[in-house]
Amino acid sequence: MSSYHIGDLYTGKLVRLGAVKAEEKDALSRWSHDAEYMRMMNFNVAYPQPPSFYEEKMKEDHSPNSFYFGVRTLADDKLIGNTGLWCDFTHGDAWFWIGIGEADSRGKGYGYDATELMLGYAFRELNLYRVTLGVFGYNERARRTYEKAGFVHEGTQREVLYREGKRWDLQDMGLLRSEWEARREQAHVVEPERMLSP
Amino acid sequence: MTFGTLYTGSLVRLAARINPEFAEALARWTHDAEYMRLIGGDPARMISAAQVEAQIQKEKNKESSFEFALRTIDGDKLIGEGGLSVKWNHQHTWLGIGIGEPEYRNRGYGTDAVKLLTSYAFRELGMHRVQLGVFGNNPRAMRAYEKAGFTREVVHRGAIHRDGQRYDDIMMSILRPEWDAMQEREGSHSQQDTTRG
Repeated sequence: MSSYHIGDLYTGKLVRLGAVKAEEKDALSRWSHDAEYMRMMNFNVAYPQPPSFYEEKMKEDHSPNSFYFGVRTLADDKLIGNTGLWCDFTHGDAWFWIGIGEADSRGKGYGYDATELMLGYAFRELNLYRVTLGVFGYNERARRTYEKAGFVHEGTQREVLYREGKRWDLQDMGLLRSEWEARREQAHVVEPERMLSP
Repeated sequence: MTFGTLYTGSLVRLAARINPEFAEALARWTHDAEYMRLIGGDPARMISAAQVEAQIQKEKNKESSFEFALRTIDGDKLIGEGGLSVKWNHQHTWLGIGIGEPEYRNRGYGTDAVKLLTSYAFRELGMHRVQLGVFGNNPRAMRAYEKAGFTREVVHRGAIHRDGQRYDDIMMSILRPEWDAMQEREGSHSQQDTTRG
């Protein structure tokens, strides 16, 4: 396993997690016009939305259980995607999701880097017991990314999707805190001193 | 063409939630921590009949949500609740059910209600798949779902934390072809016809 170093909570090797600014509503609207992207993200009917829709959403999104970030490249600070955790603090579980909205930024390791950051956030900052996700059967690339990040296949929702006249499965994946810790130990991830000293 | 009965099983029937009776019963059930811990992962919390009524008023997505009261055929007693939450574009639905009156648990009422709701999903709503969640500390419910034809397909390991213990969060489902085959084996629903179209 390659070593992976999480420097601080928000900064990875290729991307960092940051707030999505109001003026970036245009990017979110543009991504919503990419039907392929929207079909990777959720069960909803693909339906393009104007920038004002996302502006309103940003104002609303204040649930204490929801942690939402933009994914920005370290190289040029460009917003290329977004990601979030929807937490159930009673049980220490969270649903994780991520999307690289900029088509030319897919398949380059940004999603994996952001996934590692979000796992760090989930276990180091939110102190969760586990992280859960779902990946659609036709999204092989995402599944490989999640496997690389240590997620374990926990079951298959059979024929839960109906798209282009075909039934598709959904794979459920989960990662326990103990598995994440063991994996980090194996990869010899050491937190920098400044993170550990008061 | 004839239609089998949609609402009536062998022990229970699906009926409208009529207030104040339903709200008062549900408010009473929320004071039963065991019940609250079986029907969902949210922290057990008590609510009043007035709050139940207000929640029903506020219910969103009415076009994708089908909620019922469960009543015994013998005695017409309100014993529980059940519902379906539909994702129309994918032809699947979540199924939820609870037997609020403790003395009616573990006696086949739940299984009968699950069968009715499943049948409603396939026959009335045209679904391809019915799915549900059940916790690892609720083997009784799991048996009921298995009897109704559901298959266990996903196990979220340790996702439920109760009294310091970790239990699995399990997902089960039944697909249309499986349900059809089961109807064939058990004899068609049209045998219990009471209404004609």
